[in-house]
Amino acid sequence: MPSPAPTNLDYTPPDGGWGWAVVFGSFISIGFSYAFPKSLTIYYKEIQRYFLSSYSEIAWVSSIMLASMYAGGPVSSILVNRYGSRPVVMTGGVMVGIGMVASSFATSITHLYICVGVIGGFGLAFNLQPALTIIGKYFQVKRPMANGLAMAGSPVFLSTLAPLNQFLCDSFGWRGSFLILGGFVMNCCVAGALMRPIRVKPRMSLDPTANGAKNDKEVSDEKTSTKSPVEKTGCADRVNKFIDLSLFRHRGYLIYLVGNVIMFFGFFAPVVFLALYAKHMQVDEYSAALLLSIFALVDMFARPITGLVANTKWIRPRIQYFFSLSVAYNGLCHILCPFATGYGGLVVYAVFFGVAFGMVCALLFEVLTDLVGPQRFSSAVGLATIIECAPVLLGPPISGALVDIFDDYSYMYYACGVMMLVGGIFLLIMNYYNYKWLAQEETQRRQLEEEKGAMEELKEMGSSAENETDETLA
Amino acid sequence: MRLLGAFVTLSLCVYHANAATAGFIKSPLSLMKLIDDSGQLHCEVIGNPIPEVQWWFIEGEEPDETYIQLFDGARDDRVRINATYVQHATSTLYLSDLTLNDTGMYECRASNDPHRNELKKTPKIKWIRSQANVLVFETADILANPESVVNQTSAILNCTITNPPSPIKGSYWTKNGDKIKGTETESVSSITMYTLDKIGNTDGGVYACVFQTEPQSEKNIEVKTPPHVKPYKESEHGNEDDKGVLVCVSHSYPPPTDWTWYKLAENKEKEAISNGTARYEIKSQPNKTTLYIHALDIKTDMGDYQCQGTNELGNAVGKIHLRVRSRLAALWPFLGIVAEVIVLITIIFIYEKKRKPDEITDDDDSGSAPLKSNAATNHKDKNVRQRNSN
Repeated sequence: MPSPAPTNLDYTPPDGGWGWAVVFGSFISIGFSYAFPKSLTIYYKEIQRYFLSSYSEIAWVSSIMLASMYAGGPVSSILVNRYGSRPVVMTGGVMVGIGMVASSFATSITHLYICVGVIGGFGLAFNLQPALTIIGKYFQVKRPMANGLAMAGSPVFLSTLAPLNQFLCDSFGWRGSFLILGGFVMNCCVAGALMRPIRVKPRMSLDPTANGAKNDKEVSDEKTSTKSPVEKTGCADRVNKFIDLSLFRHRGYLIYLVGNVIMFFGFFAPVVFLALYAKHMQVDEYSAALLLSIFALVDMFARPITGLVANTKWIRPRIQYFFSLSVAYNGLCHILCPFATGYGGLVVYAVFFGVAFGMVCALLFEVLTDLVGPQRFSSAVGLATIIECAPVLLGPPISGALVDIFDDYSYMYYACGVMMLVGGIFLLIMNYYNYKWLAQEETQRRQLEEEKGAMEELKEMGSSAENETDETLA
Repeated sequence: MRLLGAFVTLSLCVYHANAATAGFIKSPLSLMKLIDDSGQLHCEVIGNPIPEVQWWFIEGEEPDETYIQLFDGARDDRVRINATYVQHATSTLYLSDLTLNDTGMYECRASNDPHRNELKKTPKIKWIRSQANVLVFETADILANPESVVNQTSAILNCTITNPPSPIKGSYWTKNGDKIKGTETESVSSITMYTLDKIGNTDGGVYACVFQTEPQSEKNIEVKTPPHVKPYKESEHGNEDDKGVLVCVSHSYPPPTDWTWYKLAENKEKEAISNGTARYEIKSQPNKTTLYIHALDIKTDMGDYQCQGTNELGNAVGKIHLRVRSRLAALWPFLGIVAEVIVLITIIFIYEKKRKPDEITDDDDSGSAPLKSNAATNHKDKNVRQRNSN
């Protein structure tokens, strides 16, 4: 029976109450982080006409924004470790706002690269990480549900931002729209305001006036050690205070990283190519756009439902298997996609793919928290984003190259499907072993504790006997 | 002829054991063309040393055939030969403005024998040859009725072909080069018909009836209509002090030859806009015209504009409404949203300050109470012990 990972928290998370407001705040932050870069593409045609530039020059804005988002991950984690979620999210919101307002006065494409791409991207990175981290701080029992709800922000915001952006573009032109969007995105600061930090009262055992007795030190180390054990002093020690690099020795984390890197190669490309594939299959533009809407709608509901399912007592202890199976299910969808005939087949594919995509997204960060614990989650997710950025950014262009070389979308779908199946199966097998080893370590630890407890009791009995004799003597 | 060539090649192989004898990697392909058309024959040969390629024309029938060598500029400059000798030999023979006399057998000859051009020696080595047929046909006579359609509301186009170059395998109609769906037929009739029920001003163009013969025969019928003018976008937006772009397009045939722009005042009066004055710039192509207005002024430039296209059959107009957005138009929504954000944040913080006291202590106590008490007892015990020992 696989055991859940230790939480390493000093307190029991509230699992409700203000937590739901925090989930709403995370919903907003995550929604902006994922949907904002994608929705800006609506303005590209007008900007292209204005600056008389080619499409690839404009597309760099998106790439720079995404790259900054990923690069900002570790920076964001360091700041969250130091200052908590709230200030970082509010700073991020202000950054994106300033970036967008500044870009509305841009006189060249380079200004857009810097204002929207770099500043905007970093601001969104400062939104994403803290939003994910704070859920782990507020929820333990209902955490998968909370994660699922928060991650649903992405499709909801994408569906609302897309038509909104179209309307803004028609009414105000791209400059006016960027100004208004700058204001709109400042709502991330509202989300940040909702992320009230959990304040932990300082313990008596942390009291430095204790006489340096051995037991005191043990007790304080066990209960309050939230950073990794600091033994050596020096550079590594100082780095570890900001971001937990010892995570790279964490077995579960390494499994997660490897599995995710494999998986991400084939994760986003099918979304990008869905409309193009539909048009290639002689489907008209509106129906192709409808496919994407169906996909987004299904995704929107799949995420909270997956969170709910993952919360049940049957799935929660085996959540890693659930995640691996959803990744593999994704792969299966893609491999079967080329067999879809006609528009009806594509709709069926879009529905199944929407469910699969939603499942993986909802569980993506939940399994990470499950593996490393909420305390180290912030550093873990920061390091993970910067490592995962390579497959995420390379995936779509490589798939595009596959389509160009073979002039047939089937090979790209097969390739993506295989990548995800391999990733899923890898995660499944490795997590099976991980659970086994964790269970073994757990039983060993319990045995050690029992022995220690027994020895301490003996010591206490001996010392109390001494005390009595001391007192009687005195 | 070919058998002899093969035998020669074989003997060449035997004779020149070391050097590679010439061999065709690409032979010329036969052509069937119409008079005044042009064609080309292409030939590629490998060998070591690089072989030389020549083109010969065979006139007459066996056994009284005559061989005439072709050179660059032959036949009144209608023959061009382009040859390259890099790694292997390639040669292309271009024939332009074909006449019926160009019909015949063309031969690509190659040899890399060092003694190939010596006429005094008995030619031991013959050239290798590859032949292709060129057939030039008279353009079939196609009678089109009517020959052109000008400013009519409907028409029936007829084509009758006489003296087709080969049996007719079918026919179809095209408009401006694109095949019209539903007009394809496999009928071997030499008469084909296409009906235009209603000729609107976008239905004009160059129609053609195509007979599927070898080679293809076709005849154009022009359908001319008055111009069709449509604004690209009926309502355009521009930003103050920015550049305004108004576009009108036309899908008629013949396309307008003249484009003019007018600004419509409120009293329905037209004011012509000329190119190069003040802030206006007009760029026109046959089927598209663009009016650029530099430095838009919100007071004077807003309103209706009219583009007029004229061709030989008349003129047509399109109307565009230009809206100029003030520079501060987007500012109000922006300030509104920022105000909303500030208000929400203030509310949240005030709410938090009011609720702060009760939340935290509950969490701490419930979680760690039992452990704390243990530590306390340990601590107390140790202290007691040490004090006593002191």
